Amino acid sequence: MVEETNQGNGPVGTINVLDPSPLNWLYITYNTVEELVRATPDGTIEPAAMEDYRWLDGGYTLEVNVREGNRFPDGEPLNAHSVKRAFDEVMLWASPHPPGTQFNFAAGTTLEVTGEHSVRFHFPEPDGQALGKLRAMHVMSTAFWEGPGFGYERQGSGEGHW
Amino acid sequence: MAITQMDPFAATWLQLEDRTPRVRLTANPDYWDKDRGPRLREIVLRNDLPFEEALDLVCTTEGEVDVLSGVSPADAEKIETSEYAKLVATDAVFAVAGVINRDAEGLPLADRRARLALNLAVDRDRLVRETMFGRATPLAGLAPPAAVPEEGRLNPHPHDASRAAELWSEAGGAERPLRVAVLGDLEDVARAVAADLEGSLGVGVDVVVYRGEEELPVRRRLAEKKLAQGWDILILGHGAQFAESVVAELHRAFVGATGEFRAGPVVPEFESLFVELAAKTTPPEQAEVSGRIDRFVRDEALALSLCAPQALYAVNRHVDFTPYKTSFEFAETSVDNEHWSRR
Repeated sequence: MVEETNQGNGPVGTINVLDPSPLNWLYITYNTVEELVRATPDGTIEPAAMEDYRWLDGGYTLEVNVREGNRFPDGEPLNAHSVKRAFDEVMLWASPHPPGTQFNFAAGTTLEVTGEHSVRFHFPEPDGQALGKLRAMHVMSTAFWEGPGFGYERQGSGEGHW
Repeated sequence: MAITQMDPFAATWLQLEDRTPRVRLTANPDYWDKDRGPRLREIVLRNDLPFEEALDLVCTTEGEVDVLSGVSPADAEKIETSEYAKLVATDAVFAVAGVINRDAEGLPLADRRARLALNLAVDRDRLVRETMFGRATPLAGLAPPAAVPEEGRLNPHPHDASRAAELWSEAGGAERPLRVAVLGDLEDVARAVAADLEGSLGVGVDVVVYRGEEELPVRRRLAEKKLAQGWDILILGHGAQFAESVVAELHRAFVGATGEFRAGPVVPEFESLFVELAAKTTPPEQAEVSGRIDRFVRDEALALSLCAPQALYAVNRHVDFTPYKTSFEFAETSVDNEHWSRR
């Protein structure tokens, strides 16, 4: 029985975990990286770095407001430009995600920065699965992109390393 | 990488593991969402122990293993009777199902009646009760019940051995034994399914198990679809990242044009429904079309629907762990004052 937790007092304690899942690499990413959306324990989508969103133009445009005041651990602000950088990076690759191309945005998708904390995704066809795909678009700091990247430094490519 | 189609490009990656012995995750105390977490200062992911040793350690010691994922139903009782660990379970958004090879030579699996016969031949209730130790739910189509609101859940195919035999015979029956292949640690499921098929359809069934690196050529051949498959039914497990995206991940994978597990021709009716789903942007609309897709897959017997297992964890008694239905995350996890790391 857990009698007392540390909630409200800052992080405390260490645990040792063994996870034989072949998706262990992905779970490490989910535990350490910010995305526009994340999963709840029930498995449903909820906003993370995204404050809110709305669909426009019959599903051709997704407008996202980015949460204000969010920062990467190195202090850099996480804003619309961070989202744009993440989008530009993921769109470099034909098959960035190991599970497969089902998490890709369609070729021809563009992202427009409409404010310091707002962006619009423009899709060539309506993409009702786009919200879920946002979890596969990891939003990272400038130091990350210009350092290790997703396989950039070690492999010389982001294909299959997101 | 295995390429399924070139235009539009569709591919999946075939992974080999090369894990660091220990990976240390350190909390960011400045994270904006204080209500969520992190509540732990540090998480150490251990890759330096075999699973069986980790299971013994979490059940008999403290300070070695606090959370062990991937627990099999057969090991649940050992944890429940342990002095040091407790069993944590959640109904996962994960399906165990058979890919039906609709191109199999010498079998009528392109015929819906034959595929329906396979589904009617399997006793899912017994599979759940005996093979999965009650820690799973029968599957209707491919959508795990945890991803579907209760009012939208379909009924699984019943176990009806005599109707299965009739349909199998009407479709032309078998000129040779069925070849049931299985990936990973689902051999017990494959053996139970094989026994049901033999008993209901009166056919011989050969079971082939592919483990570890043996899986890779099987997965590649299936994803690429250029060479004939060496099996008639391939049993595997597959999950989704979100409950809302279960059709895009599970149904697409097993049946869709871009599906890495599809074995047989593209199904135009399925593709039409999938295009319809892509155009829906509100959760109620998406749930409605997703439900129709799952019903179509069940009614056309486009997969051998089996069960949705629970995700099981062995957790140290002083750890408050929140399981996720689609993932494995620790933001909400905390330890009490008696935990070894706080004494």
